[in-house]
Amino acid sequence: MINLAQKDISHTLGKFIVTAMGVGMLLGIVLIMIGVYRGMMVDAEKLLKDISVDIWIVQEDTLGPFAESSRIHEDFKDTLKVIEGIDKSEALTFQNLQLYGLDKPVRVTAVGFNPFGSINPINSANLIAGRTLQKSHYEAVISTESGFKLQDKIKIGRNYFTVVGLTKGTVSSGGEPLIYISLKDAQELQFSFSNAIIRNDRERGINASGDIHTVNTVVATVKEGYDVAQIAKKLGMWKHVGVYTNEEQTTILTKNLVERSSKQIGLFTAILVVVSTIIIGLIIYTMTLEKMKEISIMKLIGIPDSIIVKMIVQETLILGFFAFIFGNIFSHLIYEKFPKRVVLEAPDALGLFVVIILASVLASFVGVGKVIHADPTVAIGG
Amino acid sequence: MKKVQSIRIENLTKSFGSGDSFVSVIDGASFTVNKGELIALVAPSGAGKTTLLMMIGCVVDPTSGQIWLGEEKVYDNHWLTNNSRQIRREKIGFIFQAHYLIPFLNVIENVTLVPQTNKIPTKEANAHAMELLKYFDIADKAYNKPSQLSGGQNQRVAIARALANNPEIILADEPTAALDTERSISVVKMLKKIAAEQNVAIIMVTHDERMLEYCDRVMKIEAKKIVFE
Repeated sequence: MINLAQKDISHTLGKFIVTAMGVGMLLGIVLIMIGVYRGMMVDAEKLLKDISVDIWIVQEDTLGPFAESSRIHEDFKDTLKVIEGIDKSEALTFQNLQLYGLDKPVRVTAVGFNPFGSINPINSANLIAGRTLQKSHYEAVISTESGFKLQDKIKIGRNYFTVVGLTKGTVSSGGEPLIYISLKDAQELQFSFSNAIIRNDRERGINASGDIHTVNTVVATVKEGYDVAQIAKKLGMWKHVGVYTNEEQTTILTKNLVERSSKQIGLFTAILVVVSTIIIGLIIYTMTLEKMKEISIMKLIGIPDSIIVKMIVQETLILGFFAFIFGNIFSHLIYEKFPKRVVLEAPDALGLFVVIILASVLASFVGVGKVIHADPTVAIGG
Repeated sequence: MKKVQSIRIENLTKSFGSGDSFVSVIDGASFTVNKGELIALVAPSGAGKTTLLMMIGCVVDPTSGQIWLGEEKVYDNHWLTNNSRQIRREKIGFIFQAHYLIPFLNVIENVTLVPQTNKIPTKEANAHAMELLKYFDIADKAYNKPSQLSGGQNQRVAIARALANNPEIILADEPTAALDTERSISVVKMLKKIAAEQNVAIIMVTHDERMLEYCDRVMKIEAKKIVFE
């Protein structure tokens, strides 16, 4: 039997391909949107995975350094070391900075850590050039996404920092590039005041010299054979601190912080899929309208509806399939140009393929309805 | 030679609307067309020629009456079949004023579309189609699209399509209207030859009186009634 859909498509191949490309670009945007969501999830977990600790000690009644402002005393790291089951512990700081020196200011998240400590948040797998910090002051390791290069001098606060290492793909939960500096430099930046402010505050009777031995969190690893949850529960009984396991901190980041954004992206993606379905439906409707004369003739000479309907449904499915292929090509061509991480995953593409095939079947109903109700006498103007 | 009935119509009526808008188009038409006959159907515009043709072709519902196609009674105040398209596919060939070929199919695909729908194997349908195309002297255009053919060639393809399912009946609605006199005469002669050689009953609607001399009988619609000259 002649495949009418194939014949019709090859008759107007150029038009069909351009139409499929147009719908494909829309589907490409859907894939990018899903990729943005995936990227957010990866970014949210990236820093936690790189730091790779078991327990987070934060200010009491706060969710930790990523969700809320958290300040605790640095010496908790020493207190932790004597707790049974604790292997290593270190203090960390996190703060947002705006760096100058390039064409445009760059927003980064600064991670302060002790370069000589037992926990280094710089994952060596991400270090693509230079080295890690080896001095207590004025050295920085920065993500290539920031635009800075090795040996660049970056003014942070009142001091210049030399870029001694470059990492790739290291970003904060918000997707901002990371800059790693020493804990001492970070504490000075975050917690110390200028001489003028200190003098001014003293005049006003306020002791604002500040305790710079403050950090945002103390992290710890647990020795093998010890239960992380049990140790966290024990530490949770301490006053003035909050304790989270790494899993809980991950949940806070992915569920509490990213969830609303992901819902927003999810809704936007769903709307785009609905719009794509409507557009495919309209295209098929228009394509069917253009063929009404031929459809009437076919009905008049006795071709059953099933064969004509099959042609319409096949054309819709082929349009959906090619649009999906073009959408994939389009998304892979442009995803790297987005400023934040976009992660395109095969299961997402497969899911979209299933959705688009179902949407195409749904969209074909408008054309099929037109076929069913077509009057064969229209062919002869009767 | 014994005449074998191919189309039989009894008391066929067709009207539209009701009350003030009631319009009667055909009133009590009764006639028979035998196999091998070429009948011309002549009437002024709007007299119901196409409507009558489409009722015989099981496309338009009559208001009342009876219709036999071959031996089979297909209408007796209501359709006696629930698949009128199967009747059209198997018993009837249509030819129209314009060729009305499917533009995205080539010539041979247009001709074999109905036979293939009737489950005739592609090879067999193609062989029969090629015979028909050779008969109409357009076999060399078998793989061309209708847009690549002249009007006359397309009309010959349309006639080949009408014959492809070996129909008992051909209903031709002004098949020569778009052609010049020479080509018109050629098409009507061709229909006459087909009727005789293939033993097919053909009803041809025409406005062109020059074509009547090539037909076996002339049927007219006068005051909603069927009369033969």
